[in-house]
Amino acid sequence: MRFYVILFSLMLLVFGCSNKEIPEETKQLNNEKTLTLAIGGEPDNGFDPTTGWGRYGSALFQSTLLAYNKDLEITYDLATDYHVSEDGRSWTVALREDATFSDGESVTADDVIFTFETAQQAQSIVDVANIAKIEKVNDFELIFHLSEPQSTFVHTLQTLGIVPEHAYDSGYSQNPIGSGPYQLVEWRKGEQLMVESNPHYYGKEPEFKQLTFLFVGEDQALAAAKAGQVDVLSVPITMSNQEIEGMNRLSLQSVDNRGVMLPFPPASTNEEGEQIGNDITSDLAIRRALNYAVDRQAIVDGVLDGEGTVAYSSVDQLPWQNPEVIIEDGDPNKAEQILLEAGWQRGPDDVFEKDGKKASLTLYYPTDDQMRQSLSLVFADMATEFGIEVKTKGASWNEIEKQMHEHPVMMGWGSHNPLELYSLYHSDIRGMAYYNANYYQNEKVDHYLEQALAASSEEDAYKYWKLAQWDGETGMSVLGDAPWVWLVNLNHIYFINEQVEIGEQKVQPHGHGWPITDFITDWQLID
Amino acid sequence: MKRKWIIPLVIFIFIYITSFLLDRNMIEINLQIKNQAPSLLHLFGTDWLGRDMLIRTLKGLQLSITIGILTAMLSTFLGLLLSLVSSVNKTLDKIVTSFIDLFLSLPHLVTLILITFVLGGGLKGVVIGLMLTHWPAITRVLRAEILQLKEMPYVQLSKQLGKPLWWRARHHLFPHLAPQLLVGFILIFPHAILHEAAITFLGFGLSAEEPAIGIILSESMQYLSAGMWWLAFFPGLSLLMMIIIFQRFANTLKDYFGRDRSYEQQVND
Repeated sequence: MRFYVILFSLMLLVFGCSNKEIPEETKQLNNEKTLTLAIGGEPDNGFDPTTGWGRYGSALFQSTLLAYNKDLEITYDLATDYHVSEDGRSWTVALREDATFSDGESVTADDVIFTFETAQQAQSIVDVANIAKIEKVNDFELIFHLSEPQSTFVHTLQTLGIVPEHAYDSGYSQNPIGSGPYQLVEWRKGEQLMVESNPHYYGKEPEFKQLTFLFVGEDQALAAAKAGQVDVLSVPITMSNQEIEGMNRLSLQSVDNRGVMLPFPPASTNEEGEQIGNDITSDLAIRRALNYAVDRQAIVDGVLDGEGTVAYSSVDQLPWQNPEVIIEDGDPNKAEQILLEAGWQRGPDDVFEKDGKKASLTLYYPTDDQMRQSLSLVFADMATEFGIEVKTKGASWNEIEKQMHEHPVMMGWGSHNPLELYSLYHSDIRGMAYYNANYYQNEKVDHYLEQALAASSEEDAYKYWKLAQWDGETGMSVLGDAPWVWLVNLNHIYFINEQVEIGEQKVQPHGHGWPITDFITDWQLID
Repeated sequence: MKRKWIIPLVIFIFIYITSFLLDRNMIEINLQIKNQAPSLLHLFGTDWLGRDMLIRTLKGLQLSITIGILTAMLSTFLGLLLSLVSSVNKTLDKIVTSFIDLFLSLPHLVTLILITFVLGGGLKGVVIGLMLTHWPAITRVLRAEILQLKEMPYVQLSKQLGKPLWWRARHHLFPHLAPQLLVGFILIFPHAILHEAAITFLGFGLSAEEPAIGIILSESMQYLSAGMWWLAFFPGLSLLMMIIIFQRFANTLKDYFGRDRSYEQQVND
């Protein structure tokens, strides 16, 4: 009897916890000008752009100097013009003069300088370390002096929201004031965020006057959507085969990629005593054979239910991808030929061997990520069937950090900033956190990457980003050194109220949820 | 009488041996047949990678039972050791009893999570964690038994004759403790299995490659709202059935021995 009492109270406890009440006010939906969104991604550090808020999607409260359009071309926002000097070190930016913060004060060059200097002091993930000096020309014009030429600085201008100097204090992240389309009404941590349109906004007035973002679990958000309480819902691919009445399903292409990182050098120990490199994957033939042996389309169809695209690089479908790097995969014959030419022979159990070494690898993946687990299991299955034995091992990120220099890892990247290519493949970044953790090194690639960064125009930069991938002889793509086996790009799945039109979206970056808010000011109500 | 405990035991051993005959490689990925509801071909359905849930469940049960047997033996052994230690003198007895009180005063699962987490999870962590949390009940019973036996005239006589502790333990104590040990072992066993599944479900236990029931259940949580009920239902039910079958066996066996009933109370708490 007592057992049942305990069991019952336990159940009460469990259900009591998970059934967090959906706040009352959100139940009155569809009264025209309000929207409720359940797209996850509550920012831990609040809404301060200088510490990372607004990297993905709309910053809501703040606006940026430049912006991207749907085709990832550069457009103006707070700025009316910008140009880069010949040597790529000086960036002159002119501001619009009619912009004001939501408290009515106008946005001036001082605020911009203050924002960038604050970001520098915060030493956060915002990429501003390269700024040597910011010079004020007049109230609406300023010049950034960089210590090194950096073509990707334009990306920083596109993502860093401007904060007001006069209203910035330690509590800013909880109570943001900015020149963006919306202003904060209320933020209840762990529950919801309410915003309303900013009457002082200089741009097009958004059609939806009030937005409510719900921060609830996936299952609960889905249940709320089915009850008609949510207008925009993001769901993981595992839940993509749902039908929700009154909502359209939207599957957006992304560069949110997943791939297997292969250690590049032979096994050794570095100065810090860490094990780096792997004697099997240091062989180019193995890395290329893996790339040719896997059937990426089968993975997309099988694991992702078709909700994704095949990936051959970390920058698929972005303007700086080299289109030549796409290969014909799922070709075990070609893979076998590559290995035979390099002196590998099939051993007794059909696994390739060379000089007494068996082609056997251990692939690590984070235990808490079921998608990466599934991808790892399927990849291992395909590789083992082909003749390169791959065992899988789930581990915590802490454990993976210790293993990632000497073992293959199922990783994911995907950014709208081409700087990511530099971070993943340049030999100077070897072993810095998760960047270039496989210790890839190729002098020529390094050189191209440096040139891309130093380029003074976008076109020039794109040219060198592409050359770094494949210049006809070498590169960091599959055709060249193949230090990665890129597998898939995950589609991002949303359910959107039938009456809401969100227009075309750009290719989505890593991170599912906030990026959908990119063009939130263009969202419209339709009949 | 005998039939009553033989039948559950035979079913239990049959399932255990069947699961041994299944090779681990039979859990193969087949994306063509993923997400299938239970059918004649796949009695328990298939998961999101097209793996047969029946085979996964059987392998999971095998792992659970193996861990159960191992940890039940280890805890019983630890219990025996500590109860012997406590019989040496008053001070040691005090130390052991305060340890018993300490461990009994904390909820099993909390201590288990703490220990397993500190040991870094995995098979080693789970086995050691389970061993260190399931010994107090049996230790208490054995200690009481030993206290009583120690005062028996023939044991006292042996002591007077200068027989060492180990000799007395082997010739006088063990024969009396043997049935207690067996029943204690059998009663710990289902507990250990359930706790292993629970802690693995919570993510502190076995690693995700192991085909453990706890892993199967926690993975299936993500698919429940997509309507794939069979992923959790059959493995959970199978685990429950195994435990019930074993419990039946344990209860009848305990009656068969007809020994001290005070046991049931302590071990079941």
